[in-house]
Amino acid sequence: MNRKLFHVIRREYLQQVKTKGFWIGTILIPTLGLVFVYLQVILASTLIPEGKIGVVDLTGRLYEPLVLEQKAVSDVDSKDGKQEEKARRVPAKITFFDVKGTVETLPDVRKELNARVQKKEIKAYVVIPADGLETGKVEWRARSVKADMILRESVERALARAGTKERLKDQGVDPAVYEKARLTVTLDPREASEKVTSEDAKNVGVNLAVSGVLFFLIYISIFIYGAFIMRGVLEEKNNRIVEVIISSVKPTTLMLGKIIGIGLVGLTQYAVWGLFAFAITLPGIVGVMGLAGGAIPSIPGGTILAFVVFFLLGYFLYAGLYAALAAPFNTEQEAQQLVMIPGMMLILASTMWFFAFNTPDGTLARVLSLFPFTAPLLMFMRISVQPPPAWEIALSIGILLLTIWGVAWFAGRVYRVGILMYGKKPTLPEIIRWARAAD
Amino acid sequence: MASAISISGVTKRFGKYTAVDRLDLEVPVGLTFGLLGPNGAGKTTTIRMVMNITKADEGTIRVLGEPLADEMQERIGYLPEERGLYRKMTVIDQLLFFAAIKSVEKKTALSRLEKWIDVMDLRPWLGKKTEELSKGMQQKVQFLGTIIHDPEVLILDEPFSGLDPINVVLVKDFLADFKKQGKTIVFSTHVMEQAEKLCDRIALIYRGKKLLDGTVKEIKNAYRDRVPLPPPVEPEPELEKIFIKAVEESGLQAPTSEELR
Repeated sequence: MNRKLFHVIRREYLQQVKTKGFWIGTILIPTLGLVFVYLQVILASTLIPEGKIGVVDLTGRLYEPLVLEQKAVSDVDSKDGKQEEKARRVPAKITFFDVKGTVETLPDVRKELNARVQKKEIKAYVVIPADGLETGKVEWRARSVKADMILRESVERALARAGTKERLKDQGVDPAVYEKARLTVTLDPREASEKVTSEDAKNVGVNLAVSGVLFFLIYISIFIYGAFIMRGVLEEKNNRIVEVIISSVKPTTLMLGKIIGIGLVGLTQYAVWGLFAFAITLPGIVGVMGLAGGAIPSIPGGTILAFVVFFLLGYFLYAGLYAALAAPFNTEQEAQQLVMIPGMMLILASTMWFFAFNTPDGTLARVLSLFPFTAPLLMFMRISVQPPPAWEIALSIGILLLTIWGVAWFAGRVYRVGILMYGKKPTLPEIIRWARAAD
Repeated sequence: MASAISISGVTKRFGKYTAVDRLDLEVPVGLTFGLLGPNGAGKTTTIRMVMNITKADEGTIRVLGEPLADEMQERIGYLPEERGLYRKMTVIDQLLFFAAIKSVEKKTALSRLEKWIDVMDLRPWLGKKTEELSKGMQQKVQFLGTIIHDPEVLILDEPFSGLDPINVVLVKDFLADFKKQGKTIVFSTHVMEQAEKLCDRIALIYRGKKLLDGTVKEIKNAYRDRVPLPPPVEPEPELEKIFIKAVEESGLQAPTSEELR
């Protein structure tokens, strides 16, 4: 019996792992992921705001300070300025030029500048109204009101600084004081406990990113390997091999062997990806997030344990469902209707991540982390953000185990009857009747 | 005579439909037994119950004198009507997998295969994937998979359906060889001619009930007065044999699966 299960698992595993498709997928997915990450890094550095921008200054006071302000930004960029200060400013290649104008000539000035913008001679222009220093309202004219977000923000910041300094002068304060007095504040999140935690402030961001990646990994693997199981079940039916096999092996053994075998294929893929990740991806993520040092984050052991436990529980729960829901049908299209049900529950779970992330002890997060079909994802998220009381984790695992047992019972019965049924597509009530009648 | 298969009072219902109705059947050891009946008579359901794939609602089934158990499956070779192979597996992997799930050691399986590989011209195909084989070649592999565990009883559900005449002869020769070893063969068919030629005993079932049971001679004698006799015919060669002769005499090689594709 056990040896037969072993042979079924072995066959299932080797058949999948031996295919070219498996290795192409295994290598291609992280490679594409890496290419994507690095493209983003490279592209992000090209997002430097640049262009000629006309300034119609009706206050008559802001143009000069604005140019000075812009020069200061460029100096910080080129000089080896304070690290923090540098990170906060976007390097800019903006050139401002003065456009003379008054309230009376403004329509003509606009007309001329509009034409230059449309001819792409200049990127954009701003009109600072006479009361601009009081209201802070400045007109921005460009080819599109949506594009050039970063450019707009740079101009906004430069204008704000220049304006603030002018307003300080009005109050009799030396604008130099402004630079000296400015203070940037960073919250340093720590747990409210005496114990020393491994998550120091710099690690928190990376750890959350890793939790997010692991959360997504549980979600996507259940989906992908669920589909593998469905396809495997249908393939054995369509090849008409299933009756040959179950004259040697119990149907439940065949089903279990398939689930475990494909689960092991998934773990193999993880192992390969894990190697990839430690070799390259993590420094990449760290780099993207602009975190200093590029140190490999130390993921808390609890998160990894929770990942393994809830991945396995989720996998077995959904794998059983996919096997049961595929068995009665002849084609993937026929099975699709019913297979959508677990799919929807998975999607529901994945869309609820923010609740588990932002308010891990809120009612919604607590309910969803106990409901068995969303628990594998949401309990994992809660644990990785703010570990809930042990009894809640235990209860969630308990409910999951009970549900898995129930699904296995149902799946075993439906599978046993379903795999021998060809021809007409059965209805859900018929399938439930099989489960009740089978023995 | 001891019974290879003994079925008594067996009933199987699917919802309101009674597929097998209080069936009694004895298959003596060492005979070739034909289970006859039109489509939907209950042949496949009966066979599946003997194989312990489907459970009987009532009655008892014993195989080789013992009540049904999963271990019994290892003493029976079963070729279902709905049969097939893993398309992506190589022939040798497939055969060894069939052996493994019948609890046959790899070494034993390989030595048993050695005997058949040349008889069936399989050697060049062992490392090929099943989907690359011609249909006839696939059927040989399927058949080999059915007997790889050297079963005492062979149960074949419509074994000749879908076979070309050359493979029909191959299977017939094989059955004769199997019978010579004193083993029991049960096969179902709805083609009466085959049953008449191959079987020692036959049973006719219809709508789940047994209508006739006995040796072919007994049954013929019992119906001699009620069924009109056919007109006497000149003995003439069978078309099947003619077909094979013509193929042989053509001197042409059998097409390879490459050509067939």
